[in-house]
Amino acid sequence: MIKISSLSKYFGKIHALDNLDLEINKGELLGIIGPNGAGKTTAIRIICGILKPDSGDVVVNGYSVLKDPIMVKSMIGYLPEEPNLYERFKARDLLRYFGELYGVPKDNLNNRINELLELVGMENRAEHRINTFSKGLRQRIAIARALIHDPQIIIFDEPTMGLDPATSLAIRGFIENLKGEKTIVLCTHYMDEADTLCDRVAILNGGKVRDMGTPEYLKAKIHGDIILEIKIQNQNIDTEKIHSLSSVESVNLNGKNLSISLSSKQEISDILRLIGNNMISINTKEPSLEDVFIHSIK
Amino acid sequence: MRFLKITKWELKNTLSSKKFITIIILQFGLLILMMSFFNMFIGSIESEDGISLSPSLSKFASIDVSDNNSFIITNLNKEVLDIRLVDYNNSLKRLRDGKTTAIIVSPENPREKIESFQTINIDLYINSEDPKQSVVLNEVNSTLEALSTSISDEWINSLIPPEKIVDPEVKEEKKGEFLPLQIIKKMMIAILLFLPLFLFGNMVVDSIVGEKERKTGEIIIAMPLSHSDIIMGKNLAIILIIALQTAIWIITLLIAGFNIKNPQLVYLIVLLTSVPIIGITSVIATYSKNYKEAEIGLSLVYIIMVGFLIIPALAYISTRSLSSNISPMTLVMRIFSGEAISGVDFIIPIFSILMVSLISFWTSIKLFKRDDMVFGPRPNLIRIIMDFLGIKKREFK
Repeated sequence: MIKISSLSKYFGKIHALDNLDLEINKGELLGIIGPNGAGKTTAIRIICGILKPDSGDVVVNGYSVLKDPIMVKSMIGYLPEEPNLYERFKARDLLRYFGELYGVPKDNLNNRINELLELVGMENRAEHRINTFSKGLRQRIAIARALIHDPQIIIFDEPTMGLDPATSLAIRGFIENLKGEKTIVLCTHYMDEADTLCDRVAILNGGKVRDMGTPEYLKAKIHGDIILEIKIQNQNIDTEKIHSLSSVESVNLNGKNLSISLSSKQEISDILRLIGNNMISINTKEPSLEDVFIHSIK
Repeated sequence: MRFLKITKWELKNTLSSKKFITIIILQFGLLILMMSFFNMFIGSIESEDGISLSPSLSKFASIDVSDNNSFIITNLNKEVLDIRLVDYNNSLKRLRDGKTTAIIVSPENPREKIESFQTINIDLYINSEDPKQSVVLNEVNSTLEALSTSISDEWINSLIPPEKIVDPEVKEEKKGEFLPLQIIKKMMIAILLFLPLFLFGNMVVDSIVGEKERKTGEIIIAMPLSHSDIIMGKNLAIILIIALQTAIWIITLLIAGFNIKNPQLVYLIVLLTSVPIIGITSVIATYSKNYKEAEIGLSLVYIIMVGFLIIPALAYISTRSLSSNISPMTLVMRIFSGEAISGVDFIIPIFSILMVSLISFWTSIKLFKRDDMVFGPRPNLIRIIMDFLGIKKREFK
């Protein structure tokens, strides 16, 4: 559905994308995670035809974003990171404006607007101006705007960023409802969001895909790791001695929290002996997508 | 024709905006105010008193006159000179004390002496340290010259028998208005008509720079529209608003009794002139990072554009040079004068309008296509010019 080949982009001297290759299948929900400045927003802006790459191409449903940008744009619904909308509009007019620009037939437009307002739970705010909306309401109407032309592909850039937990949950609900029906690219900082929603996750760093696969696959890749999370009374711990044990991969002491990554369980008793009475509690932790992320960008 | 959708919505939003309605009312108020001012100004010029932009010379310098026979005193310019009739000795003291600029002394019985063909002497004493002395000297010279002419005419007439004196046939023929008045009138009406073109620059800025400042540019570029659709759609909306505004102004001027010859043609020329102005404004808006920068650029460029319109028009009045036709305002002034304008006369202004429009809109679209213009970091002007010239090729795909 979307094929990104050797995509590179510079902003002045900054190399935002470095020969990025990525394929997104039809009906798939692909998550893109990565630290700030990894190139996530640049990549999706290029897919949407907003930015032009310095080299490489993106082909969407057989159409090149360089050769047929209008065709590509008409297939994509894009929700940018900041829901910057035209303040002067009423919610309904905003949707009508974008509907007309996207070429939604006039006969269908009113129904589509009502449908979307209902979907995002804003049917009773349809005649209110955008400048009276909270960030959460703006995000809801921005989602409706992105869906106005019933696109085959939807690209969400940090859709739950800065929203309260309830609104975030609602937005995740909208995305979940679209899953399977549409091809979705979800760019997020929230690992649990990517873990729960995405079919596959691409970890981007330095403008390149560092790792990619289903959340389970990515987690399984570091499944050998056992993480011990130990709460201690004081920092009087010989971390170097712990680190010298053959199965210990890393030791992180953060205040009264000690995190030890092990490749096998054999030396756990040795570790506990070294900590001795200083220990308050101990937990073993399954690797999460966050661990995969940290592991990948190291 | 996708850009028409943008135009439609820009127009709809603008015309329903309270801010725009307020601006239109204020502009209309400005027109009424300017018309009243203009009428007052013309009224003052046409009145007998006239209007003077130079400082008043009333009673500018003082002169003491010793003239027992009222030979000179009646002929001196009382507007400029503060005249005192005093005796000779007293005047000398006043001159020494710096209380008067000059003393003029007329001889005893001057008329009798003239009639008996005697030479008469008129003495003028001037305070050479007084800077007003030259004014006094000029006034006295003019007075004496006028007096001399009057006495000569009187004497010549006395030699001719009264029945042979015939009044010369002087026929006053008034043809049109006094030239400077004509120019002022035409110029002012032309300025009033071209003024709306410069009142909508901020709307262009708001329409383009606003997308960058509000960060809505991203979603508009993500639409299935080309960059040229966006720029042309937005600018066409402003041109249509100018068309409406100019029509209202012309109708108002006509209703108010201003004489505009061939208003339809004048309207068309003014409207065509708006195209390059909006084009240049669009270039500034596309290049600017924010409103402040755009407004500074706009002020500078508008001064140049006003000069480009007015200076050739003024040059045409004084020299009738063909090259002055480069300004559409010259063409409008010529229409006001009732001159026969051939198709050839339209070529230069229309060509200049067309060229500036094409170049400015092309530049604006090219700039808007650049990622760094909308999302930054914006390159400097030299870099952009070099890119345009292809010195270091940068792709505008």
